[in-house]
Amino acid sequence: MEAKPQDLRSGGDGGTHRVAVDREDSKPRGHHMIPVWFFVGVILLIYGLIILGTGIYEFKSPPPTVLASTHPAVWWGALLTVIGGIYVYLYMPKKS
Amino acid sequence: MNLSLSIPAAVLWFATPDLAKAGERLILLHPVDMAIIAIYFVMVLGIGFYLKRYTQSGEDFFLAGREMTAWVAGLSFISANLGALELMGWAAASYQYGILATHWYWIGAIPAILFLGLVLMPFYYISKTHSVPGYLQLRYGEPTRALSAISFAFMTVLMSGINMYAMALVMKVVLGWNIHFSIWVSSLTVAVYVALGGLFSAIFNEVLQFFLIWFGALLIPILGLVETGGWNGLIARIHQNFPQGDYTHLWRPMAHFAGNPMGIHWTGIVLGLGWVISFGYWNTDFLVVQRIFAAKDIRAAKMAPIIGSYFKMAVPFIVILPGLLGLGLLPFKLVPESAVGVGQHSYNEVLPLMLARYCGPGLLGLGITALIAGFMSGMAGNVSAFATVWTYDLYRPFIRKDALDDHYVSMGRWCTILGVIISIGTAYLVMHFGSIMDYVQALFSFFIAPLFGTVLLGMMWKRTTAAGGFWGLLAGSVSSVAMFLLVKFNHNMLAVIALSSDAKDMAENMYRALWSWLICVIVTVAVSYMTTPKPVGELTGLVYGCTELPSEGDLPLWKRPIFWAAISAGLFLILQWIFW
Repeated sequence: MEAKPQDLRSGGDGGTHRVAVDREDSKPRGHHMIPVWFFVGVILLIYGLIILGTGIYEFKSPPPTVLASTHPAVWWGALLTVIGGIYVYLYMPKKS
Repeated sequence: MNLSLSIPAAVLWFATPDLAKAGERLILLHPVDMAIIAIYFVMVLGIGFYLKRYTQSGEDFFLAGREMTAWVAGLSFISANLGALELMGWAAASYQYGILATHWYWIGAIPAILFLGLVLMPFYYISKTHSVPGYLQLRYGEPTRALSAISFAFMTVLMSGINMYAMALVMKVVLGWNIHFSIWVSSLTVAVYVALGGLFSAIFNEVLQFFLIWFGALLIPILGLVETGGWNGLIARIHQNFPQGDYTHLWRPMAHFAGNPMGIHWTGIVLGLGWVISFGYWNTDFLVVQRIFAAKDIRAAKMAPIIGSYFKMAVPFIVILPGLLGLGLLPFKLVPESAVGVGQHSYNEVLPLMLARYCGPGLLGLGITALIAGFMSGMAGNVSAFATVWTYDLYRPFIRKDALDDHYVSMGRWCTILGVIISIGTAYLVMHFGSIMDYVQALFSFFIAPLFGTVLLGMMWKRTTAAGGFWGLLAGSVSSVAMFLLVKFNHNMLAVIALSSDAKDMAENMYRALWSWLICVIVTVAVSYMTTPKPVGELTGLVYGCTELPSEGDLPLWKRPIFWAAISAGLFLILQWIFW
């Protein structure tokens, strides 16, 4: 394994913010690997928007579930959207 | 794998013909749910295609380039273990046995995971081996490696097939999906993305699946506790619904075999589950350990299991709590699978029932995606581990020694597809001969407990010889098979093996593992004293006392693995005290 710049590597110390790059590819392949956290962000963002949209629609037509009055789809969808958005923003592949 | 390892016996019930005949679906999905599931499949396949370009060498394909951070390796490590059947099976077990099922997540996991991170992982990592059988070859030689590799490869694909079949049955009962559709679509998806990106792809998708499992399953306990008015409200409702049993204490009912529904004594839980089975599974089962082998350096390799231990400790929140909520909230009582009548539901349906109770369109799709993700992460773990062990521990040493690296990568890709095909074949075999499942699950457990004895002595005792390792492993495995058959053909032997006439089948697993481990250790020690050990010089990097472990440097305390392991151990003890 070739040596890699320390600032691009995770410290593995338990801090998510340090896990900026999962495998910063320094092998001569011409590409930098997109971090896994970006993929996580994308799918959470998509799911969050879909569920949030469904939740908003359910104000008009609530589902026959227990605690539907608390509108879980709205706040859970919003949570997924925010978390997904943060991950996408932080780990968006940079153009080089 | 049987209850004693990872997947509960409750899972077996999914394979019973009664369930297959049920014909009713618990959940009706809406188009938005189907869209969420479809997006998931597109995403995992997309990741596989994307990562193919980075998977060029054997180290890339089989060990993800050994470049994973502690967090990625740690989440993948837990995700590979967190299969869908694990989720549904243990939720069912918690409905049946109450909080006792949590032992499989706490004492049955946390000490062993911390031991892996602090003690065993440095040796695995320093030896630069690619697999657990690979370590056995370095320490004991080819015969021990071959014995371990053959048993592991064989059992891994068979288990994968059994899980696949059980999952397809779940989808049939819960969603009404065609069983063949579920088997082929899910398994071919796993085959494509693992064959393309190897362990890179498996690990990336496992991290993705980890998030989906948590976000898909977390709403049930949150809304459940809102409905019950918190933990105390839940306990009050359980006592109201089931006044005769103790469902909310971990250790109090374990003083006697007859004092708890599992029929286990605390010694069985501590020594059988907490020591032999747990340490054997978490420290030597290559399916989970492979994820840590991919860590980028020794510190990441030590930290990865320690990070995983925190999440493992939290899993009962999304698995055990829904079962307890079912006890407290469902307006009807669930029954064993064998006793399901018209209009009744089995223990195994508790998680889907709770999902349907709280989740409307969209959230339902997310919950089902969590189950599918759990299944696929488990299967990817199986096939990637199978491909590695077959290629590096069987094909390369015994069939073609001197091929180029490209050839082994190609073999790994084909092996992945072959592993999936064998798994599909096993699934269809089990579909027609359901009793096979009992034997295969038991077979897997025959090797895990003795293997832990072999690895532990190999790493900790320099006097252990190659002959000692081989004969100890063989004796442990054979004795485990013998004990299993004794009980199978004469059920009275259960009282002898499990030390009490009140013991139940689950206690048998615990004690059988303990005895087979002891036999392995005794035979290994005895044969080692009768044979000549390797010179100390040949044990460098393989054995404690012959190896200089790399220093962690001048890191502050809070960056050291031991610091985070100590906190994890402290949390573990506090949880035992709270739920005593």
